[in-house]
Amino acid sequence: MSAVIEARGLTKSYGATRALDGVSFTVEPGRIVGLIGPNGAGKTTALKAILGLTAFGGELSVLGLDPRTQRDELMREVCFIADVAVLPRWLRVRQALDFVDDVHPRFDRARATEILSRTDIPMASRVRELSKGMVTQLHLALVMAIDARLLVLDEPTLGLDLLYRRKFYDTLLNDYFDRDRTILLTTHQVEEVENLFTDVIFINHGRVVLAASIEDLGNRYQQLTSAGDQATRARALHPFYEREVFGRVAMLFEGRSAAELGALGELRTPSIADLFVAKMQGSPNT
Amino acid sequence: MSSSVADAAPERAPSGAPPAPKALSGTLLALVRREFWEHRALWVAPAVVAALMVLGALFATVKYRAPHADLSGDHGPWNGMTLFAVMQGFVSSPLSLVTSIVLLFYLLDCLYAERKDRSILFFKSLPVSDGLTVLSKLLVALVIAPLGVYALGLLASLALTGIWQVNAVLGRLPAIPGWDLGGWLQAELALLLCLVVAALWYAPCAAYLLVVSAWARRNPFLWLLLPPVVAQILERVAFGTHYIASFIAYRLLGVWPILFSHVRLGHGRAFALGSGLAQLDLKAVLTDVDLWLGLAAAAGLVFAAIRLRRYRDDT
Repeated sequence: MSAVIEARGLTKSYGATRALDGVSFTVEPGRIVGLIGPNGAGKTTALKAILGLTAFGGELSVLGLDPRTQRDELMREVCFIADVAVLPRWLRVRQALDFVDDVHPRFDRARATEILSRTDIPMASRVRELSKGMVTQLHLALVMAIDARLLVLDEPTLGLDLLYRRKFYDTLLNDYFDRDRTILLTTHQVEEVENLFTDVIFINHGRVVLAASIEDLGNRYQQLTSAGDQATRARALHPFYEREVFGRVAMLFEGRSAAELGALGELRTPSIADLFVAKMQGSPNT
Repeated sequence: MSSSVADAAPERAPSGAPPAPKALSGTLLALVRREFWEHRALWVAPAVVAALMVLGALFATVKYRAPHADLSGDHGPWNGMTLFAVMQGFVSSPLSLVTSIVLLFYLLDCLYAERKDRSILFFKSLPVSDGLTVLSKLLVALVIAPLGVYALGLLASLALTGIWQVNAVLGRLPAIPGWDLGGWLQAELALLLCLVVAALWYAPCAAYLLVVSAWARRNPFLWLLLPPVVAQILERVAFGTHYIASFIAYRLLGVWPILFSHVRLGHGRAFALGSGLAQLDLKAVLTDVDLWLGLAAAAGLVFAAIRLRRYRDDT
């Protein structure tokens, strides 16, 4: 099956700022892809391009469609939560169900009602009367009842407390995701969701810094913790990042074998958060 | 991402044909309903005005008695139809005025508020085109709201007639003269035709408001007033003329002298309403080139508003 998203050389400038500076990546079907980067890295701009919400340069195909010219068709297959709290504040919960049911051919109202019944959200409430966590739950309930091929989430849990965040991702993973669906998610709370992803794309200063599946990461990157003489010998193998932890040195390597590094200290696969920090600090500030 | 792991994901099972897109009419209906959820003033304001008028009439008849008032007009005695038409005219004028003001603010707000509170991102996540969304707002302003005002005016004048009838039975007001169904239907038709003419004539104004609403980054009201006011001042200072002012005045009111060109000043209002259709110069309106120029301008402005909603990126 062809890729869900195929991006080649995406560019977008806001005045003198290059929000996207030649971004290329591919998203295959049935994956949960994390688009990860610091604030202002271009994550949201990339998502807006994918969703046809902004003009941009470069080639982009989403589910075989061009978001610039075929947005209306695209929205039948794609669903997105652009941000928390974009549900209109005047909308009642029941009206939200009515409206989406009336306009979306792939919306399953019974399913949305069932998901909502597991929350404390009253049907008659207006969005403005709900807490931020409840608004997110409501939005997620609407989206999960839509049989979309691609779900795009932009910082969906920003500003929520830990309980809601955990519940959000659990619901997403257990009740929504399957092999037919693809999820693209931006976040800067990497450490919290790293077990969720099948793939990650690091983006910084409008450029893709790293794009790999989690399996690949394990093969490509090693984290070595050592000290003293061993650390000096390890440094000769050109780690791309190192930092001191309790008098020991943690070094990150790319493309070294376990045989080379194993004798020099404790070896493990770096966490996405560690890799992220290393890649962001290592990437040029242009 | 990498093909080595991607093949772990089986292809999407063909879950039957994709569901057909929703019927356009159903989506449009949902969009219109949404407007009345968001902008409750659209129905609350006229309903309150109508209720106040009926209540006012109730209180007035408690105080006021004129059991032997003379119901003969300049052109013969009034009948039930003319009375009813006068009453409906009396009720409809304030209703139309209030609704016009509500619609002004509605049109100015409808494409601006969704960007301000960013809820446009929710609406744009649904398979509803920008064209249909903008058209639904135009439909509300030019068709649904005027028809609502008409229905409300009809209900209110029925209530007023009922109040009169009760008072007549109690001997506090003169009895309502006999009914003339044909004349009444004519008066109703005339009123509806006035609404049609108004919708056609004010379409460019409504479309202009939509453009301002879709364009303004903040304070659309200022953006509405500023350009015409500045243009008028510049024109006066530079040329000492006031063509812009007369153009605006013409676009706001110009259709009514054309529509009522048959009505001679000095004739009673009841007579004008009573003669219904005969009083309207529809032919003059529909053959007026300015009406069609206005509609062409409206089409262009609506297109601009749709493009603005599609491509404006400021959320």
